[in-house]
Amino acid sequence: MRPLFGIAGYVLREAASRKFILAFMVGITLLLLVLSLSLKLEVLDGALAATRLFGNALNHRIVAVDVALRPLYMACAYVVFYGGILFGIVACSDFAPSLMSPGRIEHLLALPLQRWHILGGTFLGVMTLALCGAIYGSGGLLLIFGVKTGYWTLGPLIAALLACASFAAVYAVMLTTATLVRSAALCAASGFLLLVGGIIAGYRTPISRVFEEGLGRRLFEGVTLLLPRLSSLANASAELAASQPLEVKSLEMLLAGVLVFGLGALAVGFWRFEGKDY
Amino acid sequence: MKRRRGGIWLALAVVLLAVGAWLMFTGQGDEPPPQAPKVDFPRRMRQEEWKRAERRRTQVLALAPDAGPTEATPRRPRDPVLAALPRGKGKSAVVIEANALRHSPIGELLVDCLMRDGGKRMDAFRQFSGVDPLQDLDRLVITDDGLILSGNFGNARFKELFKERVSSDYGPGARVYEPGSIVVTLPDGGTGRGQGDETVATWNDQLLVVGDTPGAVKDVLDRVEGRGSDEPPVISEGSTYGEMYGVVSVEQLARMLGRDQPELADQLREVADSVELHLDARSDVAMVAEIRGSDEAKVTDLGKSLGAALSVARLKAQADGNKDLAQLLDFAQVQPDGSEFKLELAVPIDAIRERLAFCRDAGQPPREAGMQP
Repeated sequence: MRPLFGIAGYVLREAASRKFILAFMVGITLLLLVLSLSLKLEVLDGALAATRLFGNALNHRIVAVDVALRPLYMACAYVVFYGGILFGIVACSDFAPSLMSPGRIEHLLALPLQRWHILGGTFLGVMTLALCGAIYGSGGLLLIFGVKTGYWTLGPLIAALLACASFAAVYAVMLTTATLVRSAALCAASGFLLLVGGIIAGYRTPISRVFEEGLGRRLFEGVTLLLPRLSSLANASAELAASQPLEVKSLEMLLAGVLVFGLGALAVGFWRFEGKDY
Repeated sequence: MKRRRGGIWLALAVVLLAVGAWLMFTGQGDEPPPQAPKVDFPRRMRQEEWKRAERRRTQVLALAPDAGPTEATPRRPRDPVLAALPRGKGKSAVVIEANALRHSPIGELLVDCLMRDGGKRMDAFRQFSGVDPLQDLDRLVITDDGLILSGNFGNARFKELFKERVSSDYGPGARVYEPGSIVVTLPDGGTGRGQGDETVATWNDQLLVVGDTPGAVKDVLDRVEGRGSDEPPVISEGSTYGEMYGVVSVEQLARMLGRDQPELADQLREVADSVELHLDARSDVAMVAEIRGSDEAKVTDLGKSLGAALSVARLKAQADGNKDLAQLLDFAQVQPDGSEFKLELAVPIDAIRERLAFCRDAGQPPREAGMQP
């Protein structure tokens, strides 16, 4: 496992040197700071009686605090999920292509490593980065609202972890694309396409009814059967963040399915990388 | 060796993608998700309620014989039931839209409850009075001084019903039945003559007024005929939305709260001037109470106290595992607006159905008996 962690550390050091990612972390920190300093919540026996942002009254309803925070947590979960994946696609798209660039790949291949260690380590490094960002953002949000309202829930944190799991599937496809074509733009495009496909796959049943019975519908159902159901996971993460009942039949199986898809995509990348001459 | 390892990765990829597809297919499930509960609160007049209010403007008051030239313009038709309502601050009146309620889910449950003897009592009442409460009754108004029933009472046999009462005409189309002497059974088993305790009046086969005193009933008729005070009725036409609506006296509401929340009841008595209620029963039962007072700060504090009480009740329901109650209290909210606030509460129809299940069960023959040959 040591070679894997070695490559992951290499990826993380590279990420730390990038201003883009540092700016993102600073942005999250500033947002959390502004929220904690400007938001005033008056809670009375578990009911949110008044909300003030920058001194202006925001919400005139008096409702149970968890009910009042529900839409906010749901919105945050969606932002973390889709926003996090989109940012991850853009920010991490050139990690793998740059590792495989001429000069660097020869150096890596010369090390006492197996080839799959390079890809696996890159994947591990990027996922560590995503996990840290998600925990930092959602944990900060959780802390601010927990301290201000006295209502503590792990929902937003679990929602962020689900977003990470989804990004794992997306990044696995991006990494596999990098083994086919050494282009950051194409890597990002494949990640973006999978995100769109994953959103569609989550709604495959209602969308399939739009197609007429026959080959078209079968083809659509066949393709979307394989794709990770990202929109279903996004909805589940929002429901978890808001402590609402889940719409999916089994979140564990769905989550496992998305992760196994990611591993499958990664295995395709390993197969391609093993057979490639540099 | 390199090719063999590559083959293993490819085979593994195929297996993983297939397992992933199966897991996602099974995990998501292809059945449509259950609809989240949605409650429609009665917050304002809906289009059908404006139409209903317009249809009910059937009474055109005749001009007084000594009316001057200023009265030459024809008077606007009005709803006789609204005209019959009490006027002035501190008065209360609650209107139950009996006909609308009867055709709502909760109405059907209540009818099931009433008919659990197979409708025998209802048939007996229908034959005796000539009135079918399920068809002829339109609205029922509960006031401080009695009841006002509106509907079609053309087939009612009032003369037989109130034959022991002293009846007299009271203006065109109105007749008052004052309590007469009645035969009562004494505690020693003997009989004696006593006085009935309620006065009844009818108006144009449309209204039936029941009051504590002849004066109270005549006041209602005076108001209907335009002889009462010029103050507006306690419920305006623009507030006739929902299946039940009206103005409840603060004292009555405080008494209801008093048992469980004495401090809140005292605060309500001190702060609130009037409480307007609206209840929608078209699917789930949703209630909106508008509470008004003169001191804005105190009214806001009362709203916060009520909101906190609802939040505590919800937490208690969650802790007790009472899922239905916790779910309905999710919709509970208080909306302050200056010197008034709106309190919204909902009860899912399924929760009421469960509570009234004994009625339906009691009305059906035992299953075992039905199975016997």
